[in-house]
Amino acid sequence: MAQVKNWHLNREMKYPYADNRPKKQIAYIFDTNKCIACQTCTVACKTTWTSGKGQEYMFWNNVETKPYGSYPTQWDVNLLKQLDGQEWDKTTGTYKGKTIFEAAEKGENVKGWHPTDRDYAYPNLGEDECSGNVNKGAFFSGIHDVWMFYLARICNHCTYPGCVAACPRKAIYKRPEDGIVLIDESRCRGYKECVKACPYKKTFFNEVTRISEKCIGCYPLIEKGEQPRCVQTCIGKIRMQGFLSKPEEARADNPIDQIVHIKKVALPLYPQYGTEPNVYYIPPVHVPKEFLHQLFGPGVDKAIETYKNIKNDKDLLGAFLLFGNTPKITHSYKTDGEFTMGFDEKGEVTTKVPLTEPVFVRPFKNETTGANHHNIP
Amino acid sequence: MKKIILLSLAITTSILLHAQNGVPITSVKVSGIPARDAKSDIWNNAQVSVIPVMPQNVTNPQLLKASVANVKVKSINDGNKIAFLIEWTDSTRDATVDVDKFSDQVALQLPLNPDTVPNFMMGQKKGRVHIIHWKAVWQDDIEKGFQDVKTAHPNYWADIYYFQEKNADGTTTAAKDATVDQFKSKEAKNYMAGAYAGNPMSIFDRKEPVEETLAEGYGTLTTQEKQDATAWGVWENNTWKVIIVRSLVSTDPLDAPLVKNTQICFAVWNGTFKNVGAKKHYSMWNDLIIAK
Repeated sequence: MAQVKNWHLNREMKYPYADNRPKKQIAYIFDTNKCIACQTCTVACKTTWTSGKGQEYMFWNNVETKPYGSYPTQWDVNLLKQLDGQEWDKTTGTYKGKTIFEAAEKGENVKGWHPTDRDYAYPNLGEDECSGNVNKGAFFSGIHDVWMFYLARICNHCTYPGCVAACPRKAIYKRPEDGIVLIDESRCRGYKECVKACPYKKTFFNEVTRISEKCIGCYPLIEKGEQPRCVQTCIGKIRMQGFLSKPEEARADNPIDQIVHIKKVALPLYPQYGTEPNVYYIPPVHVPKEFLHQLFGPGVDKAIETYKNIKNDKDLLGAFLLFGNTPKITHSYKTDGEFTMGFDEKGEVTTKVPLTEPVFVRPFKNETTGANHHNIP
Repeated sequence: MKKIILLSLAITTSILLHAQNGVPITSVKVSGIPARDAKSDIWNNAQVSVIPVMPQNVTNPQLLKASVANVKVKSINDGNKIAFLIEWTDSTRDATVDVDKFSDQVALQLPLNPDTVPNFMMGQKKGRVHIIHWKAVWQDDIEKGFQDVKTAHPNYWADIYYFQEKNADGTTTAAKDATVDQFKSKEAKNYMAGAYAGNPMSIFDRKEPVEETLAEGYGTLTTQEKQDATAWGVWENNTWKVIIVRSLVSTDPLDAPLVKNTQICFAVWNGTFKNVGAKKHYSMWNDLIIAK
């Protein structure tokens, strides 16, 4: 086991392979506050990549309702209850518990949980269920008594992937050019070690080809400078994909760096697993903090505070307004006056978005035609 | 005191020597090989060698607990082919393909260079081994037809497969009833990445339940281009009996030579206990004496 630096945990940790970060690291930001669980991303991914035989049950992308939704069933709870403690030093942001690599049992590289076929049978388990019963006579007075939120999930293309650590054949690799984690479909022999090891359960066994498969980060699009299908098709504009710099090399003009590293408003999912996942979430603002701390670590309170104050932070607002406004990957951006502009790798403009939507007030009566404009009930 | 030390040394030396040579297996000369008949009287010509197997505890992922204690091996040859009848106790027949199910398996291993026998655990760099590997699920693929999603999940549903071919009479089989035989077009392979990549695990019309591979250390198992070994297994009375047959004199330079006596190892996987890949039972090298 090598010692590697995991910046999510603010400490070093054990990993089977030495630190070897890619030249660029694919990263995503998902704003949970904007997701409506329309599953357009799920369907886009499904029709693009997993409509084959043996892939019937696979969802490389899924959106589940928290707190009770989970696919496969209780994927997170089943592993969390095997990891003792999970304490954080909140002053320093250092994780004091054990990662899935440090908690591995004798003879294993990773602490994992292996789902059964039944665990994949209910992809919409807990959908739209809120945290508790709504009392009779309850009414909305600014804060809901109960809560729920939608958690969109894909492969995290982790810096220290559990699947890579577990594969005895080295059939899974992380691309040096963009950090996308792939299974070599000619090398895998279907041992399913990755299925057990991935803490996010985003590697899947194909019963027909008898080998494992996973989200490929839509690499054919990435190679063309375009964002993945799940990002492009998101009608709620909750997603952005780009490349995340190393923490010490964060660039203020990279929207992903601005949101993740500089403003620290997007956080990794279950950082305590230790894989350094690269999908970053804006935590939901209305959910009890205890729950969010377990999901997103100790940075939650500050992230929500910053998020709520976004209208006063033009740099951050500018980065957020790039979401869903271009199919291209935005490598840098500039917030200038009333607009934010995104640029591709060559510096060409990919999108230009106003910081404030212009408002047009239409007069009730059109004086030219004499018609009255009014809403039709 | 000196005597005790000498005695201990003698015992240790004897154990080591014994371990190096294992349990000898003599392949007796017969006429005609019953390649698919473990009950044939011809097998009575051969003596049983009981080979102890141990849980793989050298490299991760390990098998911590054994569920198989030994394999009973008989070998015969007819001057052209050599056959091994490998028998072990297993109270469950595991051949289901599913996300959390694992197949019973057995493999034998021979050194490519019998003069410098490499590491018993899949060989080493510059010490290649030839492995012949049988799986119960492959046996079912041949005996019962390809073990499809529907085999494990009879009530599974699929609305449509975009690339499903029409039947010869122009009709279309409902997606849920379609078999992999109807997915042979080039376009269909685009939707089955393993088959597209030519992965030896993704063969839909397997002819033999066995695979010939090469290895030179952990994680290096590589399918041989030329596949000419055959095998057949039968499970009854809580026992697997698997016959593996290969050429005695092979023209394939990647097959281990059997022109003179050599060494042989065995590995067994018990599907019930999630044995797969490195999680297996292994034996040390054993002398293989080939009577001609």
